[in-house]
Amino acid sequence: MVAIVTTRQCFLAVTLGVSLAIAGQVVAAPEIGPLPVLKVNEARAELGKRLFFDKRVSGDVGISCATCHEPENGYANKDALSKGYPGNKHFRNAPGLINAAHKKVWMHDGRIGTNLNDVTREMITEDYIMNMDMRIMQERFKQDPLYVEMFKAAGLGEPSNGGVRKAIPEYLKTLTSRGASFDKGTMSASAKRGMKIFKGKAGCVACHNGPVFTDGKAYNTGVKENFDVWLDPQRHQAFIAYAAFMGIKNYMNLKRDPGAHLQKHAADGSDMGKFITPSLRELKYTAPYMHNGTSKTLADVVAFYNRGGDNDRNKNARIKPLKLGKAEQKDLVAFLLALSGEPLTSSKHVWQEAYPAEYPVIANWLNVPN
Amino acid sequence: MGSFNKAEQKAPILFLIITVVVTAVATMATVTFAMGDKPPATASKVSLSPMSAAEPTQPQVKTFAKVANPEIPPLAPLGPPPIPADNPMSDAKVALGKLLYFDPRLGGDASISCATCHEPEQGWSFAEGISRGYPGTVHWRGSQPVLNSAYYNKLFAAGSTPSLESQAPSAARGGVAGNGENDIMEARLRLIPDYVNRFNDVFGEPWPTINNAWKAIAAFERTLVQRDTPLDKYLLGDKTALDDQQLRGKTLYEGKARCILCHNGAFTTNEKYYNIGVPRATRWEEDGLAQVTFRFEQYAKGATEEMYRNIKDDAGLYYRNKNKWSMGKFRVPSLRYTKYTAPFMRQGQFYTLEEVIDFYDRGGFDEEGRTTSFPETKTPLVQKLGLSDEEKEDLLTFIEALSGDEILMDKPKLPPYKPLFTRAELQTAQAAK
Repeated sequence: MVAIVTTRQCFLAVTLGVSLAIAGQVVAAPEIGPLPVLKVNEARAELGKRLFFDKRVSGDVGISCATCHEPENGYANKDALSKGYPGNKHFRNAPGLINAAHKKVWMHDGRIGTNLNDVTREMITEDYIMNMDMRIMQERFKQDPLYVEMFKAAGLGEPSNGGVRKAIPEYLKTLTSRGASFDKGTMSASAKRGMKIFKGKAGCVACHNGPVFTDGKAYNTGVKENFDVWLDPQRHQAFIAYAAFMGIKNYMNLKRDPGAHLQKHAADGSDMGKFITPSLRELKYTAPYMHNGTSKTLADVVAFYNRGGDNDRNKNARIKPLKLGKAEQKDLVAFLLALSGEPLTSSKHVWQEAYPAEYPVIANWLNVPN
Repeated sequence: MGSFNKAEQKAPILFLIITVVVTAVATMATVTFAMGDKPPATASKVSLSPMSAAEPTQPQVKTFAKVANPEIPPLAPLGPPPIPADNPMSDAKVALGKLLYFDPRLGGDASISCATCHEPEQGWSFAEGISRGYPGTVHWRGSQPVLNSAYYNKLFAAGSTPSLESQAPSAARGGVAGNGENDIMEARLRLIPDYVNRFNDVFGEPWPTINNAWKAIAAFERTLVQRDTPLDKYLLGDKTALDDQQLRGKTLYEGKARCILCHNGAFTTNEKYYNIGVPRATRWEEDGLAQVTFRFEQYAKGATEEMYRNIKDDAGLYYRNKNKWSMGKFRVPSLRYTKYTAPFMRQGQFYTLEEVIDFYDRGGFDEEGRTTSFPETKTPLVQKLGLSDEEKEDLLTFIEALSGDEILMDKPKLPPYKPLFTRAELQTAQAAK
């Protein structure tokens, strides 16, 4: 299989001589490298930061974005399957959000390929995630004097749905990897050997390429199901709601995660179980791995690919046993760890001030405009 | 402004009046009579700003003479509630509806059920002026009593929905009520084996569907009726069911106190829309969370930008038809079971029936002289009554005779979730991938 790349990327790849033999074919992949610097509107990002950690963004004010996307875990979560909204649970692993602003497609199933504004809306309003009627959210924030000030300072007028959907993506831009030894050119000898394997024998770069280490495409790599999705009715209910809403056939009997099947609904089901290639940056903090958290460690992930994934008739032909030795696997893990930078856990990225316990009453309410 | 009884005219009489009297505004008037009060004859500007305490000029209204007005449906014993043809009753459906009514899984975060805001112990309602609402919110109106709701043709305070079947999802899904979405609530039902069996039994469907959940709840609610009040017994021939004081109250109700103009017929409501002068709820001036919801409701109900910015009260029927003459009008509620459903009025403006009677006696003013924020639409049917203390007491005892014993109900034990598949089934599926 030849990955579809842009002419420019192809040209670049060819000139740099990055051509790899994968499954007997030549694959040109965009070069891995440092992330570009994104221009950030500080006032807007600061507003987004306060919103990201604010539970008033969810329907029953029980959870914030950070409940599932925790700073200390690379803005992912230690749970194999995410918490989801109170009353139900989620059926997938919460992905790390560092570098989310550098991606072109979001969600494990790739159902959003537009922008983070749409992703923000999806997360806030989806019933099994934050279940928020954004019209109520907007009015909550109009009742918080600091937000009124911050929206204004951010050039977003008075607090609004649209403003929230602009501010959170701006904040996400600030969650960009910095200081990884790969980027600084300070990788260990083991990591350097691992990079060679990554680009060569293991063929990882065929999909995990470019500065974010993802081609943004969906593949079935043969990840086995996490049975907790079905054995816990609170997860299964979210899965059913999702599958029904996405128009997946026979959703009541479904015992596998359809993944990117929802994009094209192949009649023969051959696209069942495809998931978007995840970024490999910041993995140091974001265990467990895979869309359903079934790999606990990076060693597990490497072992998984080394055995050619698990059984799935839809498995991509790229996924074959790699025949890596123990030392090679260790080197590959060392390289993966070299893609993790400094943790983004300081007040620069985390809103640390307390939120008001109550909505202050608007004084003289009768005589001021709403 | 026409006389009070025009609103009660039956169709042929209405037709006659229209033919004889009304010319250019015939169409408008027809709508008006069907809805309650007619609009002002002159296009007066309807203000959105709060009303001063000054009493509006009352139009000249015919003095109410006596009970014997043939156009007003008399008080009558309450019959069985109407059952819609597309949702027939059965014991199994009612039993299912009862479980669902008490089941918090029919809500956003599975923490509140219908019964949370419509509690049997709180008059099948909620004993605060403004209902508690979804966690993290507060509602903006009081909970309507579910008991006897089977008789309404117009549910909600402003009559926005025509059946119990359509009321239930509106409440379960509203952002400051149940905040549930159909898909997740339906999915939950499907993972509760007892419900799967019951829905199959009642509706003949392989998996529970959410619309049938509302049907079952509606069927259960149709069993929550009270037809044996002292008034019912009296009207059915037991002349000892009302004592002398209550009978004096009945005479006032049907005469001097003018209650029967709107609270008439077996269900004690004509289900029309009036602005009776209830003042704004003070909570909106004092509670930030209530202010949040107040604005949300304007937004959600389609107020214009200008209205959203300036309105300071619940405009009621206006949100439904966007006619200025509907500002501040609400559907007449039944007075049955009110012994148990305090506080009263759409935002619980009055805590006791005594306060309500005083409010009417003053012609639609509270004890501080406050009245509606929308004086232009205030009904002329509400006038100073001049009731003596003794008469007020008599009227109160009669209104209490519109309630029988309190109807309570133990919460049922709810059936649990169970995984749909066994681990072995999942392993088989995994191996066959």
